[in-house]
Amino acid sequence: MDTRFDEIESKIKELLASYLESSGHPELEQHGEISGATNLVSDFTMDSFQVMEFLMEMEECFDIMIDVNNLANAHTVNELAKVVDRLLENSR
Amino acid sequence: MALLDKFAPTAAIRDQLGAGGQDPTSVIIEQIISPTEGLVGGRHTILAGTNNYLGLTFDPACVEAGKNAIEEQGTGTTGSRMANGSFATHIALERDLADFFQLPYGMVFSTGYAANLGTLTALVKSGDTVLLDADCHASLYDGCQMSGANLFRFRHNDLKSLEKRLQRLGDRAQDCLLITEGMYSVRGDTAPLAEIVELKNRYGALLLVDEAHSLGVYGESGCGVAEAEGVLGEIDFVVGTFSKSLGAMGGFCVSPHPELELIRYVSRPFIFTASSSPSIIASTHEALRQLRARPELRETLWRNANRLYQGLKALGLHLGPEVSPVVAVRLDKKEQPLSYWNRLLEAGVYTNLIIPPASPDGFSYLRCSVSAAHTPAQLEGIISAFTSLQYAG
Repeated sequence: MDTRFDEIESKIKELLASYLESSGHPELEQHGEISGATNLVSDFTMDSFQVMEFLMEMEECFDIMIDVNNLANAHTVNELAKVVDRLLENSR
Repeated sequence: MALLDKFAPTAAIRDQLGAGGQDPTSVIIEQIISPTEGLVGGRHTILAGTNNYLGLTFDPACVEAGKNAIEEQGTGTTGSRMANGSFATHIALERDLADFFQLPYGMVFSTGYAANLGTLTALVKSGDTVLLDADCHASLYDGCQMSGANLFRFRHNDLKSLEKRLQRLGDRAQDCLLITEGMYSVRGDTAPLAEIVELKNRYGALLLVDEAHSLGVYGESGCGVAEAEGVLGEIDFVVGTFSKSLGAMGGFCVSPHPELELIRYVSRPFIFTASSSPSIIASTHEALRQLRARPELRETLWRNANRLYQGLKALGLHLGPEVSPVVAVRLDKKEQPLSYWNRLLEAGVYTNLIIPPASPDGFSYLRCSVSAAHTPAQLEGIISAFTSLQYAG
């Protein structure tokens, strides 16, 4: 993976930790460090509203627009990073 | 068994909902006494969550129209309009709806949900772009999802968030569809439609507004928030339902665009559904006449809404930002929703419990919808029941 992808993934981990802390998810401590394989729904029981909220925070952070109709296969931090990477690549 | 195992988490949620008393998703109203009163668990209960804004469900003229339609046209249409033909009454209602909105084209669907699915799946396709207010109803999300269009959300009622997305779209903005509601159903707040219309005109987009909860409630004629904001003539598609102010069931779309007439030929939720029964069409049509002829219903509704809003506000409860016929009390503690909802029911008041993920902002709400048919005593009864929560801990 290139540096840009690593930076994106790292930023998403940071955003997720911050979002989980602010939305009161106690699982954060139990889960330990957020990794690329961290699944938003199964690891943190985020409901659909919280997933959508988090996506909006990602949009603002990376200055992108995420098509919510094309997210069927993006469940983990790594998969979300691929989506962001592709969007940033397309916007160049 | 694996196929059915997926229901285990749902069963757990259902058990949780019923643990503290009555399960709010399965309340049985044993007898409907009036638009605002029923028997629940053998107890007289004020119905404070019906969306029956004008209280027309027992209106004598609407009931009579429904009865006559059954006698004259039978109990059902037994098929879709494309296959079985349209009854003259379907066409008459479509014409009167269009006339009410002062628009040339109107189309009736079997439910409000089908109206949104049917309109959106015909209007946008794969490759098209939709910008949707994040708080929009599930039927609007589902319609966009089924359409296969590129779907982007903007923050609720946030003009900067919307404009930022329009800017990002570049040339694509002039072909995109913006979607908002008039009044939002959970918190009762309204869309800044005049400003949204200004944006849609500036960027050349089209705008669809769902007035499901605002029909009969807002505007000088009762057309909804777009009329109240003075921009009804600039909305490309107005969708709505018959199941709230009009006291029946069904949905509609009206538009200045002649293409609405072509949606009939390509909209699967319209083509492959049985059309509304004659009694539903007749009572809806009569309710529309009542809505137009009796503005005093709207005046009473707003007087009642104001009384309930001010009464609950005086208790220090966390309410929405503006007075509206939807008065939603936000609950800030996790243990409150089920317990409070049950206490209200025990006190003889039925409200809607909205909990995440169905709520728009992650909070839970005890939602009341005010009716023109609520009596002053009933409104005081609702306020009194909420007062008792203050001491419930």
